[in-house]
Amino acid sequence: MLKNFTLIILLLSSVLLASEDVSKWLRPQTIPQPEDNKLTKERIELGKLLFFDVRLSRDDSLSCATCHHPKRGWTDLKPVDKAVGFEGRTGPRNSPTLLNTAYQNRQFWDGRVKTLEAQALGPIEAEVEMNMPIEKLIPKLRNIQGYVKLFSVAYPNEKITKETLAKAIASFERTIVSGETPFDKYIKGDVNAISKDAKEGFELFKTKAHCMDCHDGFNFTDGSFHNIGLNAGELKGDKLGRYNVKKRAAWYGVMKTPTLRDATKSYPYFHDGSVKTLKEATNQCANGGRHKNVKNMSTSMKDRKLTEEELSKITIFTKTLTSPDMKLEIPTKFPQ
Amino acid sequence: MKKIILSLLLLVTLNATEHIVDQKNKTFLPGTMKVKVGDTITFKNSDPFSHNAYTDDEANEFDVGMQATGTETHMKVKKEGEFHIECAIHPNMLIKVKAEK
Repeated sequence: MLKNFTLIILLLSSVLLASEDVSKWLRPQTIPQPEDNKLTKERIELGKLLFFDVRLSRDDSLSCATCHHPKRGWTDLKPVDKAVGFEGRTGPRNSPTLLNTAYQNRQFWDGRVKTLEAQALGPIEAEVEMNMPIEKLIPKLRNIQGYVKLFSVAYPNEKITKETLAKAIASFERTIVSGETPFDKYIKGDVNAISKDAKEGFELFKTKAHCMDCHDGFNFTDGSFHNIGLNAGELKGDKLGRYNVKKRAAWYGVMKTPTLRDATKSYPYFHDGSVKTLKEATNQCANGGRHKNVKNMSTSMKDRKLTEEELSKITIFTKTLTSPDMKLEIPTKFPQ
Repeated sequence: MKKIILSLLLLVTLNATEHIVDQKNKTFLPGTMKVKVGDTITFKNSDPFSHNAYTDDEANEFDVGMQATGTETHMKVKKEGEFHIECAIHPNMLIKVKAEK
């Protein structure tokens, strides 16, 4: 009886999948790249070395990878709620993943810059992160002959400058894209790639739970900005989010919607790292938010009256967005 | 003189066109527009969640704030030029506008 029921569910889901336009869920085959910084093997390799090189920090103790490590879904190597930087200083936010940032047109939690080139130098200079002034870093790199040679090959006729440094790091970051997940196999037609519970979770995700209002498209984010009610009362400082970029009413307390791909690797969740499990994060989003009726609350934040079982199924579905770790040789030797 | 000015104003008002922009499936439709100074652009939110429309173009600067489902907001084109209108919530939503005299 149970076997027959499972068979019916599987048949139904394959019929539904065949009749649905699934194109928006398919991983793109190409990586977008700017005209003035096309991806080349030399640029990616140089960017990778720079990304993992602790000499880019003030005291040679931190690299970009310290807070964006491949083993942790390109977030903090330690599962801390807020990023820990120079001399143990704590930053204001949880380290965002770098996964699929090539496909986003706003970077950082508050979207304050558009491109990866514009983003790349920010954490190097930030006092609570790598705390390395660029005007000190450029001569330091120019004194490392190995880097001089690699830059001259990657960016012929250009020197080591803050522009080429940003371009090289951005080139590597652009290649950090998600691999094939069980969900990707399912959406391409392998109906056995995910479980019955995961399929039901996906349907809830798109319908009753309204997760898709924001976690939409192949990257499970539409790049939108929302206040999801993590803080009550009048907001101040970093909690104002994108409102600090410009005082638009629609930007009060908003942060960028994160991707859900590889979310199993990048806990804790939300921009303040205040939630440890996917299920609780789903619960807070789908039950109307931690705090209700806050100023400029996203209109998608409503109590969807999900049962415990429905929450579990959405969580099971979200776990099917986990890809194998990217094939990557982490550098252990650096240019001298 | 007063009559002439009033007539001119009336003429301008009569010649002004209303352009409808639908906010649907997280897209502005249409995505490109040719308008004239004095025209009105009306934004209709057909999605089941809020949208916004704003431009940073100095001469035409406006921001409708949070625009709820099913509501309309309006923008008057004040000056010629080319500019973008975006949604502050969904930055992938963009209209390229060309405004002429």
